[in-house]
Amino acid sequence: MVGMSVLRSAAAFAARLSPLKSGNNAANLLTRTIPRTDKVAVRWGHGKKLFVIKPSDYYDRRFLHLLRYYILLTGIPVAIIVTSINIFIGEAELVETPEGYEPEYWEYYKHPITRWIARNICDSPVKDYEKMMAAIQTEKEKADWRLMELDVRRQMRQKGDGPWFQVSTLNKELIDNSPKATPDN
Amino acid sequence: MPSDFDKGAYPEPPRQTPAVDKQTALPNPALILSKLFYYSVDLPVTTFRDAIDSIRSKNKAVYYHQKFRRVPDLTDCQEGDYLCYYEAEMQWRRDYKVDQEIVKVIQERLRACQQREGASYMENCANEIKQFNEVAKDFQSRYGDLGAYGSARKCLMKQKERMMAAQAQSA
Repeated sequence: MVGMSVLRSAAAFAARLSPLKSGNNAANLLTRTIPRTDKVAVRWGHGKKLFVIKPSDYYDRRFLHLLRYYILLTGIPVAIIVTSINIFIGEAELVETPEGYEPEYWEYYKHPITRWIARNICDSPVKDYEKMMAAIQTEKEKADWRLMELDVRRQMRQKGDGPWFQVSTLNKELIDNSPKATPDN
Repeated sequence: MPSDFDKGAYPEPPRQTPAVDKQTALPNPALILSKLFYYSVDLPVTTFRDAIDSIRSKNKAVYYHQKFRRVPDLTDCQEGDYLCYYEAEMQWRRDYKVDQEIVKVIQERLRACQQREGASYMENCANEIKQFNEVAKDFQSRYGDLGAYGSARKCLMKQKERMMAAQAQSA
């Protein structure tokens, strides 16, 4: 009787197990061992995968990527060019000026890039000097002419014998000096 | 690259290291470290530099030292001759740069002397110290306190003040 209820409850339990699961066939249903949870081998692998909620770093990473890209776009060619110039062309050496030789104005610089810039882009220092002297000469002449003009104005206004500061009056020959009939003519 | 100091002007004293007299069988750590440094740092760097110099030596450029003609000073200029003023001003600026470099050379000598002598530099470098003090005092009295817009004219006025002060003191 008691065995009947135990068998019934066991049958009900067996009916609840799904037949599709792999360990649930008739051979090992009643004979399988009960797993002891305190003696199972636990391995800490890569850890549990977590979905970390943090603010978006898309914009920061995009900014840094673009920064590196645009800096290196011209930075790397410039670095390669300057390195190859320093290796293959190299800086100049200081020597005494040979007798009777007038060096060109770019031959007074040491680094090849400076020499190139001085030769092709900038004017020679002598030319710059002369340009400045020409500007000073022009301004000096302007200042002298202005001072002379002031002096001339003063003289002509004072003496009155020059072409400036002449106030034109009416023609004296238009005056009728003949005697008039009434005093208010 | 900064050049090495003039070895003829400052000759190294004769070496007084005694001959090696090893009395133990243990290896010398200083020797080991120096060999290590030589093979790991000195030799690669020297071979690299020699390689680059051999590439460079095919097209060697030279550069010269520019010498400027002397032009009349500010005191030799007529009044109102602005061209003469400009040339004198440029010459004064070049002389100012030259004087700055002179002071730097004297400073460098003093620094080298101090480095060489070590702890007893106050006695052994007395010449260099005296020279540097004189040069610095002269530079200060000629070019000091002219300010950022210093010009030949201001320097001349400063000289005039100096001469007036000297005359007032001697009188």
